[in-house]
Amino acid sequence: MLTNYIKIAWKVLLRHPFYTFITLFGITLTLTVLMVVASFIDHLFGAHYPETNRDRSLYIATIMQTDSANTSMSSGPASFDFLKKYAKTLKTAERVAVMNNFGFSNAYVNGKRIKLNTKYTDVEFWSVTNFEFLEGKPYDDTNIRNADHVAVITDALRDQYFGSDHATVVGKTIDIENINYRVIGVVKGSPPTRVYTYSDVYFPYTAPKSNYEEKGLRGRFVAIVLARKASDLPAVQAEFDSHIARIPKSEIPDSQRMSVLVVKADTYFDHFLNTFTRSDKDRVALYAIVGLVLLMIMGLPAVNLVNVNVSRILERASEIGVRKAFGAPSRALLWQFIIENIFITFIGGAFALVLTWVVIHFINASGWIAYADLTINVSVFLVSVVVCLVFGLLSGVLPAFRMSRLKIAEALKV
Amino acid sequence: MLQHLFKLIWNKKGTHSLLMIEVWAAFMVLFGVLTLIVFNLRNYLQPIGFQYENVWNLELSSNQDTTEIAAKLQRALQRVKAYPEVTAASRMSSNTPFSANQIGNSVEYNKVNVGADFYYTDTELANVLDLPLKKGRWYAEGDLVGKFVPVVINQVMEDKLFQNESGLNKVVKRDDKTMYKIVGIVDKFKGKGKYMSDNPALFQMLEKSDRWNSNILIKTKPGTDAAFEARLVKEVAVMLPGWGVEVGYLKDSRKNRENLTLVPVLIFLIVSGFLLTNVALGLFGVLNLNIAKRKGEIGLRRAMGATEAKVTTQFLGEIWVLATFSLVIGLIFAIQFPLMNVFDLDKEIYLIAIFAAVVVIYIIVTLCAWFPSKQAARIHPAVALHEE
Repeated sequence: MLTNYIKIAWKVLLRHPFYTFITLFGITLTLTVLMVVASFIDHLFGAHYPETNRDRSLYIATIMQTDSANTSMSSGPASFDFLKKYAKTLKTAERVAVMNNFGFSNAYVNGKRIKLNTKYTDVEFWSVTNFEFLEGKPYDDTNIRNADHVAVITDALRDQYFGSDHATVVGKTIDIENINYRVIGVVKGSPPTRVYTYSDVYFPYTAPKSNYEEKGLRGRFVAIVLARKASDLPAVQAEFDSHIARIPKSEIPDSQRMSVLVVKADTYFDHFLNTFTRSDKDRVALYAIVGLVLLMIMGLPAVNLVNVNVSRILERASEIGVRKAFGAPSRALLWQFIIENIFITFIGGAFALVLTWVVIHFINASGWIAYADLTINVSVFLVSVVVCLVFGLLSGVLPAFRMSRLKIAEALKV
Repeated sequence: MLQHLFKLIWNKKGTHSLLMIEVWAAFMVLFGVLTLIVFNLRNYLQPIGFQYENVWNLELSSNQDTTEIAAKLQRALQRVKAYPEVTAASRMSSNTPFSANQIGNSVEYNKVNVGADFYYTDTELANVLDLPLKKGRWYAEGDLVGKFVPVVINQVMEDKLFQNESGLNKVVKRDDKTMYKIVGIVDKFKGKGKYMSDNPALFQMLEKSDRWNSNILIKTKPGTDAAFEARLVKEVAVMLPGWGVEVGYLKDSRKNRENLTLVPVLIFLIVSGFLLTNVALGLFGVLNLNIAKRKGEIGLRRAMGATEAKVTTQFLGEIWVLATFSLVIGLIFAIQFPLMNVFDLDKEIYLIAIFAAVVVIYIIVTLCAWFPSKQAARIHPAVALHEE
């Protein structure tokens, strides 16, 4: 029976290739856009190399100071001193890594310039993140204590600076702004979209020019707090909040005018939202805009799909009439249309899957984002297929169902 | 005729409601995307007003060094200027052209308050960036001895601050302590690149004792390469131990800056292009079926003496009326944007976008209805009526 229905569906599809094309185009387009967007969001916020522990990490990235009326505000990263005092001391956390926000530099080799992103980190950084070491090892507490001029570099920088035909580069030196650093490790690079861990070269925070000695609240450093497990996050947040509440007024600069200090340890997604939206009102507006754009992108093809299906169903009236005249019950007719719709949605889904794979592959290969690792998100794919099915069923099956209740004579007349 | 068409559509508003929703949604999407495009295109068509081709940006940061910063910066500038490869060099605040930094402030003249981008530079900037002066001159060393701080503003700023008067040599107020005297006016300065709108800008002269603004813009001779750059960085780093020294090309930062605008526009353009293709195909399919269903009616009209052209016009007229219905609804939404001044954009941008969206929608529906109505009109009356 099922194979019969599928055969019929196939014949129906082939009968009007143009309409089949419109339907498939709509389904494929919607699913592809959804999946590419979802995989991009997953790339930005999901737990991926090297921040594979993101689901149990909290980010302390900004210190915000406002006055009580919330009219003026200033914000920025914290100082190393502040994070050492209030974040490193968290007892509920497993580890706390501190690194500077970002820094830039240049290296020169054979009359060529290499643009560098630099990062100064502590030792914990290498345990909180999951960098893959291709050669050597990270710096340790001894390097930090001795303020050694050592560096961990990425494979891309290694190939650019030392050339790709080398045995090992560990122990060689790299000249950055006239200071010679000894390379002690080479890691696989990470995409620049992971802003807190991305860099080309990593130094211990005691290396020159890191500015870790700065006093005061604000500086250039951020912290990643790793909880033992995801369910511990609220406890860590509560402990951090209590640390912040204990900061005496005398330590807050300009506390007469800007008396309210806001420092939060947020999950990566919340932290990201907070950088764009300062108040709940902003957040609602942001959700509204994103929702509206998504609704338009999905709504337009959906209306289109419904439109085409509703118009086409009249075409099938005589077929329904004939089948009813030969004694088919309404239920059998309904099943036929349901299976037909599922069939075409799956074909569209398959096309979308292939297309998404091509688009993602293209994005990964284009170098638009270095080390991009976009992947197809299976759960999003399944949800989108279900959404398409719902629209397909609403638009294709409801009219068909109504039609199947038609009197045979009327159906045949059309 | 028109009244008749309206009646025809109105009588079938139930069946046509889906089509109308579709056209309405297509219009809204088009309106959004076109607003974005018109906004950027209008900016793009205005020149940025300066040359950046061979200009480098030397960024110095004193880090933990706190002694004699101003003197060291001044020494570094002299050293840079001494190289034969350098034609001109100027100190500048951190909001160098195409950088992400911004410094905003406002000045007042005759109770008119205008906000502007503030750039702190020395006397050489006009030479480094080839910034031609429209009126007056660039500030010079001697200007600092006066009571007022010398500044140069751009044309938009002059227009906003002084309306129809000339702003040259006028004194404007920054705050109770600082008064500016305008010594020159440049035409345009779009510091963030081509896609930035032509905003008011003000250049204020840096004092020699300044220690906060530590960028140096360097204009090099054409053909200067990274070998010189490496030497420059090395020698400046030796001169200023412990300082951060970084060189960037304005050329490169311009590209990065413009990509930040261009990439989102491109993504929206591609996605909405697909959406509209989808809508066009769907409309075509639906109209094709609808018109095919009315064979009998067409046959009758043809038999009564209507020409092919008349039948085609009727179907096209119907779809235009239908599109007009949806567009009126769409306009009610779209017109709120210029009325309520959403996003603070120029009203003209919204109006151009609305107009363009309306035109595109009419073109799409006409194209989609053209082929089916042509085909329908060609039906022979005898054949059509025979089927009936």
